[in-house]
Amino acid sequence: MSEPRETVVELSAQLAAGAITSRALVERSFERLSALDPALHAFLFTRREAALAEAAEADARRARGERRSALDGIPVALKDNIVQAGEPATCASRILTGYVSPFDATVVARLRAAGAVIVGRTNLDEFAMGSSTESSCAGPTRNPWDLARSPGGSSGGSAVAVAAGIVPAAFGSDTGGSIRQPAALCGVVGMKPTYGRVSRYGLVAFASSLDQIGPFAHTAADCALLLEAVAGHDPQDSTSLPEPAPGLSAALSGDVSGLTLGALRETEDAAPGVRARVREAIAELERAGAKVREVSLPHTRFAIATYYLIATAEASSNLARYDGVRYGRRAADGSGGVTELYERTRAEGFGAEVKRRILLGTYVLSAGYYDAYYRKAQQVRTLLRRDFETAFERCDAIVLPATPETAFRIGEKSSDPLALYLEDVFTVSANLAGLPGVSIPCGLDAGLPVGFQILGRPREDASVLRIADAYQRRTDHHRARPPR
Amino acid sequence: MSADFEVVIGLEVHVQLRTRTKLFSSADVSYGDPPNHHVTAVCLALPGALPVLNGAAVELAARAAIVTHCKLHPHSVFARKHYFYPDLPKAYQISQYEEPLATGGWLEIETAAGGVRRIGITRIHMEEDAGKSLHEAGDPETQVDLNRAGVPLVEIVSEPDLRSAEEAGAYLRKLRQLLRWVEASDADMEKGQLRCDANVSLRRRGETRLGTRTEIKNLNSFRFVEAAIRAESARQADVLEGGGRIQQATLGFDAERTRLFVMRLKENADDYRYFPDPDLVPLRLPEERIEKIRAALPELPDAREQRFASELGLAAADGRTLVSSRALADWFEAAARAHGSPKVVANWVLRDVLAALRERDAEIESLALAPEGFAALLRLVDEGRVTAKSARSLLPELLFAGGDPAALVRERDLEAVSDAGALEAAVAEVLGANPKAVASFQGGDEKSLNFLMGQVMRRTGGKADPARVRELLAQRLARS
Repeated sequence: MSEPRETVVELSAQLAAGAITSRALVERSFERLSALDPALHAFLFTRREAALAEAAEADARRARGERRSALDGIPVALKDNIVQAGEPATCASRILTGYVSPFDATVVARLRAAGAVIVGRTNLDEFAMGSSTESSCAGPTRNPWDLARSPGGSSGGSAVAVAAGIVPAAFGSDTGGSIRQPAALCGVVGMKPTYGRVSRYGLVAFASSLDQIGPFAHTAADCALLLEAVAGHDPQDSTSLPEPAPGLSAALSGDVSGLTLGALRETEDAAPGVRARVREAIAELERAGAKVREVSLPHTRFAIATYYLIATAEASSNLARYDGVRYGRRAADGSGGVTELYERTRAEGFGAEVKRRILLGTYVLSAGYYDAYYRKAQQVRTLLRRDFETAFERCDAIVLPATPETAFRIGEKSSDPLALYLEDVFTVSANLAGLPGVSIPCGLDAGLPVGFQILGRPREDASVLRIADAYQRRTDHHRARPPR
Repeated sequence: MSADFEVVIGLEVHVQLRTRTKLFSSADVSYGDPPNHHVTAVCLALPGALPVLNGAAVELAARAAIVTHCKLHPHSVFARKHYFYPDLPKAYQISQYEEPLATGGWLEIETAAGGVRRIGITRIHMEEDAGKSLHEAGDPETQVDLNRAGVPLVEIVSEPDLRSAEEAGAYLRKLRQLLRWVEASDADMEKGQLRCDANVSLRRRGETRLGTRTEIKNLNSFRFVEAAIRAESARQADVLEGGGRIQQATLGFDAERTRLFVMRLKENADDYRYFPDPDLVPLRLPEERIEKIRAALPELPDAREQRFASELGLAAADGRTLVSSRALADWFEAAARAHGSPKVVANWVLRDVLAALRERDAEIESLALAPEGFAALLRLVDEGRVTAKSARSLLPELLFAGGDPAALVRERDLEAVSDAGALEAAVAEVLGANPKAVASFQGGDEKSLNFLMGQVMRRTGGKADPARVRELLAQRLARS
């Protein structure tokens, strides 16, 4: 099977020129899906007939000379925690078996208004809690670079859908690295926007103060297009930024001269091969005219602990609504009272990792422990924010590895939750501080992709994408495709 | 109860704010509709739904804080209060905890002795209501109605400053008066728009420390609040006098049997795991906005009462009754202005209008007669065109059906007999027909005059001015 290498920008141009049709693109997506997904398991649900009909509508529009946006007719995939009216939304959890959302997430409504064709819903760690897509109740997704390895997570299905060429673009959510880490491990671009840039309305909440929806694609230029389509204030999300979507594509000048990059000092947790690729990427940007200086974020050593206190506290609260009373899966055994019903429903419905986090989060919010854990974590969160503020006085963006190592073997870390939590060491700080961050491919280490991460000041999504785009204009790493 | 004990009461009052839609969703606030007809994704806590604060509720809550003299905070925070219950869809209630909307206010109530006591208000915070669990008799299943889930409330917490059931009642009435006055709430207890929890403890007189308290939940009428506090004070006094100790507990009140029952003991108190709701940003209420809300408030009852005394010359007690609701005060004042003699109007309103309302169990808002029409009726009385008695007999019909008083007086043929000739003729006829009564009057029996008056009134169909009749009779009797 031929390997599609086209980006959204290229496909959009081909559609506009009449060289291809949206229907053909969607058909190709489903051909690849049929051929590859039995091994990869990136998708939980597909909507072939609806997608083909929508593609035909996009083609009809084009025939009339209408075009909703650059995304009109482009196939995309959604992580199964972003709800779409009439479609399931299971979050890869047994407890949401059979649930169909009656409403569209704001992201979905905006994608549809832009003409994008949603082909299906991708696999994830249950309720987005994980870094390997192994905690999905439907089983793990596999990395197209090596089927024995994990694609990372939690948005593993979306990363793989793009890496394997099933769709040119997909959306995921990033709470502690859940877009950037699988993007790094699968050799695609994944972006977590500034907190509040994209509406969370219709994103099934894991940790509300950290969650953010973002795109996967092959290039930063594609991510700019995708983000423009979905970003901007939403009155249905009180935490969304007040301003409309910024012009991102227009900011991609290719020029980084005059910018100062802060190379993170605290990268000792990264494997030598990863550090080497990241050093090379920084050197490339230096050659392109950027200034480079070392910066330090002294409190990042507390980031993982802080993250796992705040994220679990919020998760324990957000997941309390899954009680089997109004929707979702209810325990079949109806004996006893309502407390027994809750206990059985939640015991049967949640997987081990979700239970672990609910227990931890319930504990840290409990009377007598709140001050020592939750409140303390919020204080450290403030210190981390200040670290970034200080660092951004000396540079325009911080560059660092996206992950400590390349893709690990499936099962390798699943028995050691703490080891898996450490996968997030380079990503969680951006969530705690609400910063925009992108991971882009910067070459291979032992045949596996390495992710180069760029973090920007809050609201400066455009400058992060501009640096990433400038790098990609000078390099070919984003053109590398999995071997099969 | 022994006189050795002092009752200490603090009230937590939940008041439903008078908004069109819920606190965090666009669903309508409704009452009495079929179950689950007013629910959105937010009310159902569907995956992905997010709360958005209703700005109108904030304004009403701010009014409640202003009329209770609380300090409104420019920065307050919504928090999640967690517990599992089928009528609580998110398994947490959005409330305010560490940083409430307002703190440190007071209300003044009148005591039985006629004095005034100031009752402290600890805090006012905003929160959403829960839904309802319905248990049909004989049905083992619980039905859940979420129409009420998410309805905006304020919780108003008093200091433990109240010292009797009567004071608790007075505090609640005052609170309801103020909240209705500024249209923050309809505060209809029958519809559950004002619900009260009472914290009750006893201590020996002279003791400054508080005793162990119990909390009586969900009292939904003033009468029940007072009855429950009386019953609980008596119970605690019995326990203490018998050498026992009060156990901290949450109690329910069985109104039918005037009896309290234990809902739960403190030992298994809940841990609500409050934390700031990350779906909502802190509530900002800048000084300018607070000032705007304050400036838009109507003249408050205390100020109005004072003005009724100083400007209109009303007695304090009369003024207080007239400001018991804003609608009554407005109606009275408009009538007084149209008529010109506030005291005369006040007397009529306090006696006759309020009696007519009580008779029909109606509110002033339901009157069909405009205050100007009422003033016109009183003017007919002033001018002697209708007797006060006739006017009083027409009043209920005029109040509830409306109409032109002068036309109704004519229609019912109730125009006063003011024609001197006709009246004198009637007096002459009565004197001629009742020589015995005349004789006994002249023999010194003053009561006979009343009999003769009654005869004249009957002959004129009650349309004669009694003062004039008495005058004429006296003249004629003196002459003869």
